[in-house]
Amino acid sequence: MTRLIVRRVLWTIPVILLVILMTFLLMRQIEGNPFRTSERAIPASIQANLEAKFGLDDPWWKQYVRYVKGVATFDLGPSLVLRNRDVNDIVREHFPPSLELGALAMLFALVFGIPLGLLAALRANKWPDYTAMFVANVGFAVPSFLIATLLIYFFAVRWGDIFDIPTSGWTTWQSKILPTIALGLGPMAYFARLTRGSVLETLQQDYIRTARAKGLRRRRVVVVHTLRNSLIPVVTAAGPILGFLITGSFVIEQIFAIPGIGRYYVTAVTGRDYSVVMGLTVLLAMIVIVANMVVDILYGILDPRTREAR
Amino acid sequence: MSATPLLEVRDLATHFFTREGVVRAVDGVSFSVDRGRTLGLVGESGSGKSVTALSIIGLIPQPPARIVGGEVVFDGRDLTTLSERELEDVRGKRIAMIFQDPMTSLNPTLTIGTQLLETIRRHLHLPKREARRRAIELLDEVGLPNPEARLDDYPHRLSGGMRQRVMIAMAVSCEPDLLIADEPTTALDVTVQAQVLDLLDELRTQHDMAMIVITHDMGVIAEVADEVVVMYAGQIVEQAPVTELFARPEHPYTEALLGALPQLEDDTARTGRLTAIPGRPPDLLDPPEGCRFAARCPYANEFDGCATHMPALRELRPGHMVRSEHPTTERARRKEAAPA
Amino acid sequence: MSSTSSGERTQFPGLRRLKERRYLRLPTPPPPTPTASGDAGAPIRSSSLWRDAWYRYLRNRAAVIAGIAFLALLAYCVIWPIVSPYDPNQVDFSQANDSPSLAHPLGTDQFGRDLFTRTALGGRVSIGIGFAATLVILAIGVTYGAIAGFLGGFVDNALMRFLDALYGLPYLPFAIIILAIFGGGSFWTMVIALSIASWFTTARIVRGQIITLKENDYVRAAHAVGARWLRILARHLLPNTLGVLVIAVFLELPGVILGEAFLSFIGLGISPPDASWGSMAQDGYRAYRVAPHIIIVPSIAIAWLILCANFIADGLRDALDPRTRET
Repeated sequence: MTRLIVRRVLWTIPVILLVILMTFLLMRQIEGNPFRTSERAIPASIQANLEAKFGLDDPWWKQYVRYVKGVATFDLGPSLVLRNRDVNDIVREHFPPSLELGALAMLFALVFGIPLGLLAALRANKWPDYTAMFVANVGFAVPSFLIATLLIYFFAVRWGDIFDIPTSGWTTWQSKILPTIALGLGPMAYFARLTRGSVLETLQQDYIRTARAKGLRRRRVVVVHTLRNSLIPVVTAAGPILGFLITGSFVIEQIFAIPGIGRYYVTAVTGRDYSVVMGLTVLLAMIVIVANMVVDILYGILDPRTREAR
Repeated sequence: MSATPLLEVRDLATHFFTREGVVRAVDGVSFSVDRGRTLGLVGESGSGKSVTALSIIGLIPQPPARIVGGEVVFDGRDLTTLSERELEDVRGKRIAMIFQDPMTSLNPTLTIGTQLLETIRRHLHLPKREARRRAIELLDEVGLPNPEARLDDYPHRLSGGMRQRVMIAMAVSCEPDLLIADEPTTALDVTVQAQVLDLLDELRTQHDMAMIVITHDMGVIAEVADEVVVMYAGQIVEQAPVTELFARPEHPYTEALLGALPQLEDDTARTGRLTAIPGRPPDLLDPPEGCRFAARCPYANEFDGCATHMPALRELRPGHMVRSEHPTTERARRKEAAPA
Repeated sequence: MSSTSSGERTQFPGLRRLKERRYLRLPTPPPPTPTASGDAGAPIRSSSLWRDAWYRYLRNRAAVIAGIAFLALLAYCVIWPIVSPYDPNQVDFSQANDSPSLAHPLGTDQFGRDLFTRTALGGRVSIGIGFAATLVILAIGVTYGAIAGFLGGFVDNALMRFLDALYGLPYLPFAIIILAIFGGGSFWTMVIALSIASWFTTARIVRGQIITLKENDYVRAAHAVGARWLRILARHLLPNTLGVLVIAVFLELPGVILGEAFLSFIGLGISPPDASWGSMAQDGYRAYRVAPHIIIVPSIAIAWLILCANFIADGLRDALDPRTRET
């Protein structure tokens, strides 16, 4: 079991290197000058100085190696645009809200999605199923920016005097409600559908028939036998979705004015702040990788068949 | 053996209500099983034998299927009238069932021990330690080596034969009065088949259980059954004690089934061909009005009304029921009576 | 079943399993139906396979409705702008922010432009990007997967390891970078940006298909009797993989469309006044207080498309693999 974990962890290294390399090469294709803060051109000498200061005049592979070393020591370098700030600082400041938002949205999605799917499956092809799936399909297909906008519209504009829910910032717990729902509704719908399908499939299995033939109480059959097995695909899905939630939340962050890395990422890219972009991309990639790794380990725990070393 | 039979199935009818129509999977089936005796239920796939068994303990998938008629009287109670909760008390404790494919019939994510113990604790209400001890005893009884270690194993680590033994152990764990075995050996290797059949027979005598063995294999019937019921297209076509059935089969279908058995002792052994029964069973969505075997029956002709009139199940000899207008003995008699 | 199911060490089995789940229960080729002349080992009677699938598809109500709705949407986007009496770019503030009415079935935006027409026009762009990106994804994915699957051995191993590493690339951030390289969004830059980090699953699926089919008994038999690989490819492998690819189109489409919408929404993709559903949503967002319908309209269009694509994909999958059982 530990061997499995170690092997997985080791594998992440080449992946990270590849990510850095690709981001690096891509970023260099972007035309533009990070040092330009206004419309006026920067004198060539100053440009050269700045480039030397940030090591941009070295050949690309040298920069790459230096950067990799930096990543290994958790030093993501200085920001090119905001002269007196480190990328690490930026991360420290902007990452927590995104992380929290992603985690809350995921929690929302799981807590509401799985029971919804379970209910739909247990009452398959009857009204509870149809309603639940209707809600799920809507939540899944409607883009989150619409949901966010509608939430703001109703809670702040129309019913502003009844509810006192802030629609921007990420401070009080009330301010976290709407963004969480907006971001989490899609995944919730996805989990509901996934759970429903998985439960239905599990119920067809022979071992469920065996469990019933043994006279076990329905509750036990559902919870111990059915749910456990049905949740495997849901758990597997949760990892990448968490990764996606954290890395793709920029729209929600924009709408709700949340100071997270999603929003900052866009700014950095358009501002050609190479080091920030690099740093954030590496960070985001790591999140995706870690999320997947956790899921793999969880999968091994849930499904004993996969535990054997292959 | 006097006494009331343990299980009496009367006119059981189970239909599947599908989008294409109503499939009459079991259409008026009656038989009984006495305490301590083994009933063999034989027929090809689609004959309704599994559905019959599932209907007895109420395990048919309820949305498409439903018991539309008949009674299943077990120890005085009609099981078709019981609620789900009451049935849950019967299943596993009074009537147990094992299934065909041991690979898929065990939950792959739970240990053998968990699956064994949950049955024991559910019905016998034993504390954990005692239940565990009993589980080990059971595994030993079914012939599993190293039973204590087995408890913590997952199903995928056992072979097919071992898994089936575990299933059997689970089934007899609460001393049921009746064990229904649905194709218990079909998915197993030939060598293991015999062992499992022996095991079942042994357990039956030891625990004084009645058994219903469902199979399509006449060889299995010959081994374990006391009484045989032959099913075809949702109906019983012949019923007799086992030796009687093999010695003097009456229904053309039964004859054909026996003819399809490879005979090792005959002189035709290496030269004769296995007789296959031509044709296929009727579609139960729209079964024919008359005898359902008529289309494949080598003796049906246009004068006997077999195509339009369903023959009734009649007692040809004491204890021997047949549903046919052309039972063997009558055919022989007719032949003699006919002018040369 | 694709051979990636077990016995393969990959970096992200979880992620892979998630995506492949939607492709699960791939149709294994049926044994060849015996032809009248009785030639065993005949190639798949493609006509009967597709016809059967078509009939099965038609029996699935949801899939049929989705198919019709999808085609209706396509027809609307293609035809309406041609026959519409309104100029989609004509600004007319006197009619701004009108709610849906007879004259403007979907209302007007804050510049007075008819939304019914703009939505159709935007649909052309969004759906166009969607299909184009999907085709690019398929092209890359199929090539990569086919090479890996066909050649096998060391090449396959290397390619798959590399693919595993690529799974670590975060999709949207990379799309953003690509767009920045090209300096903003236009049709083709969007296509590239959206397809670059999304082809991995397709590649893996195709590879799995090819490997399964390669090991298939009657492909082996055909090879054994001397049929050349090209013939085998054409008669056996392609018809079966085709089904998977069609499903793949409808599975990837929603993701791409949503991606386009998001990117355009934050201003990186198609920007106003060019119409795409995403850019229209951006317009609508700015005016949500006054006229919420402006953002609702393109969003519903997107949702419509995504729902249709999902049901069609499900229907196709069930139609091509009759073993699927769901109550």
